[in-house]
Amino acid sequence: MPSDSTRWRSLAQTLVLYGAALALGVGSAWWVLKKAPWFNNTVQVGAWRANLLAGSPNADLYTRAALALNTLLALDRSETMYFVATQDDSGHALRSRCSYRVEGTPPNARWWSITAYADDMFLFDAPQQRYSLNGSTAQLDAQGHFALTTGATPVPGVHWLPTPGDRGLVLTLRLYNPLPAMQEQPASLAAPRITAQGACP
Amino acid sequence: MSAHGQSARTWRTSMWGLLATVVLSHLLAVWAAPHLIMQVLMNGPTARSMNIHNQAAFAARVTAASRDVVMPSPDLLYSVCAYDLSQGPVHISANPGLSTYWSIALYAANSDNFFVINDRQANGQPVDLWLVAPGTSPPASASAAPSRMLVAPSKTGFLLMRLLTSNYAAEKDTLEPARRTLRCTPA
Repeated sequence: MPSDSTRWRSLAQTLVLYGAALALGVGSAWWVLKKAPWFNNTVQVGAWRANLLAGSPNADLYTRAALALNTLLALDRSETMYFVATQDDSGHALRSRCSYRVEGTPPNARWWSITAYADDMFLFDAPQQRYSLNGSTAQLDAQGHFALTTGATPVPGVHWLPTPGDRGLVLTLRLYNPLPAMQEQPASLAAPRITAQGACP
Repeated sequence: MSAHGQSARTWRTSMWGLLATVVLSHLLAVWAAPHLIMQVLMNGPTARSMNIHNQAAFAARVTAASRDVVMPSPDLLYSVCAYDLSQGPVHISANPGLSTYWSIALYAANSDNFFVINDRQANGQPVDLWLVAPGTSPPASASAAPSRMLVAPSKTGFLLMRLLTSNYAAEKDTLEPARRTLRCTPA
């Protein structure tokens, strides 16, 4: 017959094992939702990805949870489309300490904006509250292109979104009331190009 | 049965139990995440300080200090209400009278966006909605034009009104009165 100390040791081992199993289950859920939120129902255009079920009651269990964590209170794509970039066009992860040039043509929507977020999905503490470029503030060149730069210092003549510090950078392109063709074919987006400027170790 | 056979069966049972714990806790966490986030949004410290329970509230302009909801848009003015249909229907109305983009969106307790109306769909008319819980009777006034009745998928949820602003300093005197036409009141 096992002694009291043996029984207590066995109970403690069982509790530790089940605690670890619980932590593994919750931790894996967190990892899937936070680190790989775009693993399904997505379309990728250039460096930009959109979840086609954002804001939709048809979202599955994982999509709903990932959107709640990363894009809470999203609208469906007939109202607003959200394209998110975490890499530049070369496939390198965006960093706030680096400088990027983002350029393209205004998307097929009633109104649009590009906003710079830190990797916690909140705004940078940017000087002069320069958080975004939008369809009203964008200056188009003779070819109808807009451009912006991100990073610690501005580039003369180009709209600047300051991204202080050294952390992950997330760019979000919002399309308000996208045209029907865009809603049906999100991959038809003329994706703004994201190009690193200079060396970024 | 030998002691060895007994031990092997106990080990297998324990492994299945641990595996089931991992899978179930994973699925439960995924299911619960949107519900918990919405609960914090509707009943957390910010919600309490803004007094948004069945009442419209008008958030300050988005800045880097806005950290209640991820990915806040600096180009929008937000107005909110946490609806609660447990005591009866809630009446929602607004008349922003703006030609620029605005919308009123309703979210269920699991974060699903089950209704949205924007300025173009409103076509210059006031928004007049009665929100009722599933299986409950709407008030008589809900059937009177131009009111519209909506059955919410859950008894509690969230209303978010968005107003586009590209130059808040210049537009403030127009936008602030416009969004303050929002009402969210129990019947």
